[in-house]
Amino acid sequence: MNEEDVEDQGLKVVDAFDLDDELRAVLKPGEMVRDAQGRRHRLPRYFYEIPSHEVALKTRLTPHFGLNEFVLADLKEASRLHDYPRYVPCAVRLLAFYLEQFRHAAGASVHIAVNGGYRSPSHKLSQNATPHMWGTAADVYRIGSNILKTKEAIEKYNELAEDVSDEIHVLPYGHVTGRHADDHVHLDLGYITLIPREISEDRMEQPQENRPRFAFEERRRVDRRAATVPAGEE
Amino acid sequence: MAARAHHKSEERLPVPPPKDSVASSEVSLYRNVLKIKQEHELEDLGISFFDAESTIQWSYNADHYFHAASTMKLAVLLGVFRQVDRGELALDAPVHVRNRFTSIVNQEPFMLDLGRDADPDVYGHLGKTLSVRELSYWMITKSSNLATNLLVEVVGIPTIQLALDELEIDGIRVLRGVEDQRAFEAGLNNEVTANGLLKLLRLVADGKAYSQKACDEMLSIMLDQQYRSGIPAGLPKEVRVAHKTGNISTVHHDAGIVYIEGRKPYVLVILTQFAAETGRGTAVADVSRDIFNALAGSAYE
Ligand SMILES: [Zn+2]
Repeated sequence: MNEEDVEDQGLKVVDAFDLDDELRAVLKPGEMVRDAQGRRHRLPRYFYEIPSHEVALKTRLTPHFGLNEFVLADLKEASRLHDYPRYVPCAVRLLAFYLEQFRHAAGASVHIAVNGGYRSPSHKLSQNATPHMWGTAADVYRIGSNILKTKEAIEKYNELAEDVSDEIHVLPYGHVTGRHADDHVHLDLGYITLIPREISEDRMEQPQENRPRFAFEERRRVDRRAATVPAGEE
Repeated sequence: MAARAHHKSEERLPVPPPKDSVASSEVSLYRNVLKIKQEHELEDLGISFFDAESTIQWSYNADHYFHAASTMKLAVLLGVFRQVDRGELALDAPVHVRNRFTSIVNQEPFMLDLGRDADPDVYGHLGKTLSVRELSYWMITKSSNLATNLLVEVVGIPTIQLALDELEIDGIRVLRGVEDQRAFEAGLNNEVTANGLLKLLRLVADGKAYSQKACDEMLSIMLDQQYRSGIPAGLPKEVRVAHKTGNISTVHHDAGIVYIEGRKPYVLVILTQFAAETGRGTAVADVSRDIFNALAGSAYE
C-alpha cells in the first residue's frame, strides 16, 4: 500500500458492539441474516471509523480508489449512517485491492455507483443478505465514459472481472432482481469478514438479536417483569 | 378567433370584464368550447377554472376522468413537498439516478425508453446522483419520466395518495409511476379530472398546500415550465403561467395558474382526448385563449 494507506491515516478500527445503541441497531454486528437462497451469514463486527467527510475523501485504499467511493449512499441508507463518524466493514480494503486489478484490466476508470459499495443491513436494498453488507461488493454503472446499459457491455466487463481472479464473482446479465444485473456490473468477493491484526478476539459478545437494542427496550422488559408479579399475591 | 389573436400584439394590460357581462361571457364561452370540441374532433374535453379576481368558477365536464399522462407529476410534486415540509425528506438529499423500476403488476422490472425521454439533464447522470430538488425541477419543467419514477420511489405511491387525501383533493388517482407498460396493458392508469387538478392548483396558488414555503417552492418550479404549447400558447407573451402539461398519443392536457399583472391569478385546467390518428392540434391553446378573453381579455376584443 502507498504512504496514504489506511493505517497511516489513523483510521480507527472499532468493534461495533462498543458503538451506541442506535448504531448497533442499524449495523447489527454479528447478527445472522439470510441471503436470497436462504443461506445464513453472520454480519461483520469490525469496522473502520471514518471521522469526517474530509478523511473519507483523502484516504486512498489503492492508487485509484478512495475510501469515499465505497460509502456513497443515497436516501435508501439509514439516515443515521449519513452522519459522521461513519462506518465501513474492514473487508472493504480487499475489495479495493481487487477493483484496482479490475481497473487495470479494463483500462479505464471504474466508477462505483451511489449505493454501489457498502450497504448496511438497514439499507433499503438490503432485503436479503448480499456481500454489499460486508463491504465486499461493488456495483459499477460506468467504466470510463461508457454507461453499462447493454447486454454486450455488461457481459464484456463481467468476463474481464472474472478473468482478474477466481475470487471475483459477478452477476450474469438478466432481469431477475438479486440474481442478475441488467444496468450495471455487480462484482463481489463473497461473505468475507476481516479481523484486523490489532484486534484481540478474546471478548465474546452476544449477537444483537438476543438482547434488547435500546436502553428503553431494556426498561420495558424490566417493567413487564415487574408487572407479571400479580399484586396482592404471596 | 384569428382576429382576436392578432390583437395580442397590443401591449395593454388586460382588465376584468364588467360584472354585468359575466353571464353573457359564460354563454359565449360555452358556445366556443363546444365549437372547439367539434373543430378539433375531440372525443372528450374537460375544463375547470377559478378566477381569484372575479371569483368566477366555471367548468365543463369537469368530473370526468381522463388518463392523467404527465399531469400526475403535480401529485408527485405534492407528495415530495409533503415529506419535505414534515422534515422527513431534504431537498438536498442525493438520489441515485438509475433506470430500473418495478412494475406494479407482478413486480416485474422495467426500464424507461430513454430515447423517448427528452431529458439528458437527468439521464446524463445515470450512475451518479441528483438531489430531490433537481429531480423535482426536471420532473416538472421538462416532464422527465426518469426523474418522476425516481421520486415516486423516494416518497412512495401511498404517500402521494395520502397527500391528496389529506388535502381533500378528489379527482386525482395515482397508482403508479410512468411508462409501466405492464400496468398500462392491465388497464391500471393514473387518472385525473379537471376539478381534481383545479383543487390541487388552487391550494398551491393560495399557499395552502402544507405551508406557504412549500407552495412558493412548488410554484417557482412550475413557473419554469419549458413546454408552452398548451395554456401559454393562448395567452399574450407577457403573461406568466405556473403549469404542467400532459401528453400521450391520445391526450393533451394542461393545468396551470395564470398570473396577469395588476390582477389576481386564475387557475385553469384543460383536458383533451382524441383519436390517435387525429393528433393533438391546438385545442388546449384555443380554449385557453377563449377563457382569457372571457375573464381578462375584454381590452383585446
Ligand atoms: Zn450489487
